[in-house]
Amino acid sequence: MRKEDTVKLISAEGFEFVVDKEAAMVSQTIHNMLTSPGSFAERQHGEVTFPEISTTILEKICQYFYWHLQFASGKETEFPIEPELTLELMMAANYLHT
Amino acid sequence: MFGCFCTQEGRKLLLDPRSVKTRNKHKHNTQVSEEMETMKGKSESELVRLCIEAACESRESIQKWRMQRRTLDHLPSHLADGLIRRLVSRRLLYPSLLEVFKQSAEEVDLRGVNNVDAEWLAYLGAFRQLRYLNLSDCHRITSSALWPISGMVSVNHLHLSNCSKLNDAAIHHILSLSNLQKLQISQTSVTAKGIKLLASLKNLSLLDLGGLPVDDVSLTSLQVLEKLEYLDLWGSKVSNEGANILNKFPKLTYLNLAWTSVTKLPNLSSIECLNMSNCTIDSILEDDEAPLAKLILSGATFRSESEFLLHANTNFLSSLDVAHSGLSKFFFLSKLKVIEQLNLSSCMVTDDSIEMIAGVGVSLKSLNLTGTKVSSAGIGILAGHVSNLEMLSLSQTLVDDTAILYISMMPSLKVLDLSNTMVKGCLPQENTDHGSPHSLTALQSLKQLESLNLEHTRVRDEALSPLSSFKELRYLFLKSASLADISLYYLSSIPKLTSLSICDAVLTNYGLHMFKPPQTLKLMDLRGCWLLTEDTIMSFCRIHPQIEVQHELVTIVPLHQGGPNHPSPSQLTSKATQAAKKKENLSISPDFIDQRLKYSRDELLALQFMSLPVVSSSESGDSIFKQQLN
Repeated sequence: MRKEDTVKLISAEGFEFVVDKEAAMVSQTIHNMLTSPGSFAERQHGEVTFPEISTTILEKICQYFYWHLQFASGKETEFPIEPELTLELMMAANYLHT
Repeated sequence: MFGCFCTQEGRKLLLDPRSVKTRNKHKHNTQVSEEMETMKGKSESELVRLCIEAACESRESIQKWRMQRRTLDHLPSHLADGLIRRLVSRRLLYPSLLEVFKQSAEEVDLRGVNNVDAEWLAYLGAFRQLRYLNLSDCHRITSSALWPISGMVSVNHLHLSNCSKLNDAAIHHILSLSNLQKLQISQTSVTAKGIKLLASLKNLSLLDLGGLPVDDVSLTSLQVLEKLEYLDLWGSKVSNEGANILNKFPKLTYLNLAWTSVTKLPNLSSIECLNMSNCTIDSILEDDEAPLAKLILSGATFRSESEFLLHANTNFLSSLDVAHSGLSKFFFLSKLKVIEQLNLSSCMVTDDSIEMIAGVGVSLKSLNLTGTKVSSAGIGILAGHVSNLEMLSLSQTLVDDTAILYISMMPSLKVLDLSNTMVKGCLPQENTDHGSPHSLTALQSLKQLESLNLEHTRVRDEALSPLSSFKELRYLFLKSASLADISLYYLSSIPKLTSLSICDAVLTNYGLHMFKPPQTLKLMDLRGCWLLTEDTIMSFCRIHPQIEVQHELVTIVPLHQGGPNHPSPSQLTSKATQAAKKKENLSISPDFIDQRLKYSRDELLALQFMSLPVVSSSESGDSIFKQQLN
């Protein structure tokens, strides 16, 4: 996997998740950060930090990105969400427009 | 989608201001925010929606998040509102759970939730951000129950319609909501005395007083409400004298005076939507300023028919409903240059008047001629002039199969109603020289046809054969004792059919057993098919669990359709399952595993029906059976 095709998402606690750019683009917010003209630091380094999103939630978000890609290509499986994560995940999803 | 044809029931439709906003495409400030309220639910992102669903999965899942107080307090309001909406539709909301939303929720819609009472309002009174509260059809709400919400300055929209226990005492609590902009109290027990007091709510832009005894005196005292844009007074005691002050509301765009004794209106310079159905019309709309877009006069009586709309500004009039008004002269039609929806049902329309409709045909999208004297010849006159027509109702007219040939020349048609006509499905001898003897074949040229109603016609099995090549047909309505099993065979290959109604037909058990429904089918109405037995229908439901079947003997609702309109089988059989749970609880061991995990969904369904006869011998079983009958 080439570096240009990936993006690094960093959680509030500093954990780093390296995911395919294509997957991360499922989020409209990340999509805008990585494609908008101008020299956003995010675009140059391929890194995005989320000081508001905990590691557990960010991991779930990354899982969702990949699930969404599969789902979009017609594979029908359920995306499991633990009830205790629903509120925080919902807020993160709202922020990320995903 | 059949909204336009429902206007005969004008009165019921009027009660709901939401029905107006969908059609009145012109500026309608008062309805914009309400539209946004309903839009929000749809604009939720995919993952947010999945989270809300997971959070409202069961009582147990709620327990997992309700203690996360810090997160709940910081929840963006639209997420909190979405969560509440879902909890309500899943029937999982209860008073003390409301408390967790007190910092976040802005809109709470509890309409029709039967058990809402004073206790719920006690919690709602603590909501800091509450802007919109809908308690319509909550029959346990009394005037004193409203006390906790009094003084809430954040509330700007309160919907209390159909709360029949609310009386003038409630008005005193309502008056303390000083920022109220929209108030709906139709069909409550409020009297003219209470209505007078509303004059102190100076910010009101929307006021729904439908079905209340508003008289001339109380209406006059409301004239200080200068911001009023929307006023609903259907069924009130207002007379011409009271109506005279209506021009004191400079911004009035929507006015409903249906079922009143008002016959005259003063000049209303900003009126866009006027409803005077079931009134006697003497002189209205005499000025040519009002940007009128929608006019509803169904069931009205005209003193002077020839002057109808003579002096009105019709440059914006896009919707006119004069159903059951007995109008016989249609000269006014030539003035309606932008008319889109025209309802002339049960008027004295004959083939001679069709020419005038054809004159404005280009802009027409919906035309209702139900119960008129129009024949096939009239449709022939209309055919070439209505290129944009999407809905056409010819129910209870004199049309026959020749009309179908003309209808096939209306390229945009989506909804066609030919019920209660002479249509046979076979062309008269002289027309059959080019190809098929079946008249419905001609409709194959209508590439957008989605809905077809052939109830109470003389169409027989064979004549239905062309339907199988209707690519977009989604809704089909048939009702005839001359239809038999072979019809099902023709219908099974309509590619997008989602709703099939085939009532009073002589379908046999064998026919239903052999029927291969289209993949898309969701609803099948078999009422009146008296030859079918319960066993056969049950077995059909088992094989096709995605189809909701309606029949006198049984009503099965498909699984996974939560929500207020579709009680799920688990709700229907709740008594039975509760009883079963009690027994289960006794035998639960520490390492108990839910036995249902072992089975797939289809297997579970099969098991469910297998156990039914056993259960039905008990008391709880009887209740299931009764509910299914209902």
